[in-house]
Amino acid sequence: MKNDIVKEAAQAQKISMIICNSNMDAEVDGLYASAVEAAEKINRPFEIVFVDDGSKDHSYDRLRALADKDARVRVLRMRSSFGEAASLDAGLKHSSGSEVVFISARVRVNLERLPEFFDRFKENVDLVVGWRYPRRDGGMNRLISWFFNRMAGRIANIRLHDINSGIFVARREMLERLSFYGDLHNFIPVLAAQQGYQVAESKIEQKPGKFRRSRYPKEYVQRVLDIITVFFLSRYSKKPIHFLGFLGSLLMLSGVGILAYLFFYRVLQFGPIAGRPLLLLGTMLLVIGIQMISIGLLGEMVIFTHAGDIEEYNIEEILN
Amino acid sequence: MPDPQIAISVAVPLYNEVENTPLLFNAIKTVLEQVGKPFEIIFVDDGSTDGTRDALRSLAAEDPRLRVILFRGNYGQSAAMAAGFQASRGDVVIAMDGDLQNDPADIPLLLEKMAEGYDVVAGWRKNRKDKLIIRKVPSRIANRIICNVTDVRLHDTGCSLKAFRGEVIRSIRLYGELHRFIPVLARIEGAQITEVVATHHPRRFGESKYNISRTFRVIMDLTSLNLMIKHLRNPLRFFGTVATWHLMAATLVVAWLLYRGLGVGLTLETLNVPVTLVFLLSVGGVQFLLLGLVASLIVKTGSRRGMNVSPIIYSKDKK
Repeated sequence: MKNDIVKEAAQAQKISMIICNSNMDAEVDGLYASAVEAAEKINRPFEIVFVDDGSKDHSYDRLRALADKDARVRVLRMRSSFGEAASLDAGLKHSSGSEVVFISARVRVNLERLPEFFDRFKENVDLVVGWRYPRRDGGMNRLISWFFNRMAGRIANIRLHDINSGIFVARREMLERLSFYGDLHNFIPVLAAQQGYQVAESKIEQKPGKFRRSRYPKEYVQRVLDIITVFFLSRYSKKPIHFLGFLGSLLMLSGVGILAYLFFYRVLQFGPIAGRPLLLLGTMLLVIGIQMISIGLLGEMVIFTHAGDIEEYNIEEILN
Repeated sequence: MPDPQIAISVAVPLYNEVENTPLLFNAIKTVLEQVGKPFEIIFVDDGSTDGTRDALRSLAAEDPRLRVILFRGNYGQSAAMAAGFQASRGDVVIAMDGDLQNDPADIPLLLEKMAEGYDVVAGWRKNRKDKLIIRKVPSRIANRIICNVTDVRLHDTGCSLKAFRGEVIRSIRLYGELHRFIPVLARIEGAQITEVVATHHPRRFGESKYNISRTFRVIMDLTSLNLMIKHLRNPLRFFGTVATWHLMAATLVVAWLLYRGLGVGLTLETLNVPVTLVFLLSVGGVQFLLLGLVASLIVKTGSRRGMNVSPIIYSKDKK
């Protein structure tokens, strides 16, 4: 009995480091060494959970060797590549520390300044997001990232320099309450801020060396879509019609206006309208507007019929 | 959870009402003590920043009948009301605003009506003490529209002072900004609704959190609720109707083309505008049909199919 209590107290102090790895076998050993070093500096019991997200290289063999050598290391291997959100989720389920460090192997950060993250926790903060500084990515990459963070910050009202830096420290209870899937783990700061959690950031150095230069145009498009995701998530996830209905009505009304103008133009014999592109524009605006409203209504339908799963609020404390 | 110990729950959402909070608590407490049934008061703080939280803490420490729910952030009035309702345990749950414009002295009136067997008793601010142009006129127009669209015949759906049967209010899911439509949502669950005239005071402390910019959002919510009430059972019918308009328009243009264009011998090049019209309308029409199919899928997988949209909504004379 007493043993249990002692164990529980230790559990509450424990740090879980969840490291997601996908085809980065060159990084694995270095990451392990620096994670252990950082954790020892923090001076609390810790565990390291490597999640191998369906790597096709030698990652898994190296991870196994690490696990054999060190009892604090646990290795999960996904059956195939499921993405980082799924890896984080699996890592959470197979770890027990009260505070969770999430590190994505792809960002190649230097963990030397990780203990500073934990200093921020004393200020009642629930989530500390890494800010890669100095950053060693390509210029275009950085510009896009800067723009994304500014936009997302403005939309979701959070002041962070590096929203999806691939490294953060969070309280376990918070992570377990947020629901993330697909690529949504990139937006954990936004989701957390929306729920009223305190979010802060802490600088972390990115290792010099080869940076990923070749960004496909696809990834730029992805970033724009990401901003839309943030916008929707932070403002309209429970009331899509407020946004789509507004936009749709605007388009529809301008379409109706144009068509009305053309109608009177023709009826009052000012001239023919058949050859005028304005007619097409009016019709198109009308059709797009109606479609937008309908999609908004469809969204409302999704939320209304699934309202049982919705919990829009997050209770901090109940008295009496 | 219903609790045999508690007959009446009063749920109040609060946001930055530091001066009003203790006054409101004392007023409600006095009235309920006179009523003489076991009660609880639930104050839900929606992330206030002006000291309301501290005021609530000290009040809760003094009186165990006050339950306080503190939100982590500001999630809006619907969320605050939903949390209050979900936490309530009384047979009757009374909702009111935290700004002291509703008078707790009206609670016995509401309880009397509830005793007659109604499930929802709404307050009606017959002599409203607010600014005419920015509050009263829009509110009156909104009420007329809400009445006509939803068939819930109330003079004043916007009045926060309402009494509910516990099971009814706890079965309703409030989200977004649907707190304005609680009677409508209750009606969807099959509730019997009536109203009583309630007193209304001008605001004494703090600031009003309303503004006229919500009008558009109210209209949008109403549109969406209207769809839920009328078409949730068969969404394909709604989207299919819109699709039919599009396809019919397309057919009309085609007919006109055949009649005017080909009959007189015009070539398609001079008619490219109507032809494109036909394309647009047909694409729109087909898309709507598909939307309707997706909507049926959504309703089918949703947890609320079947139980909602009881025919009681349409029986106008049942008051």
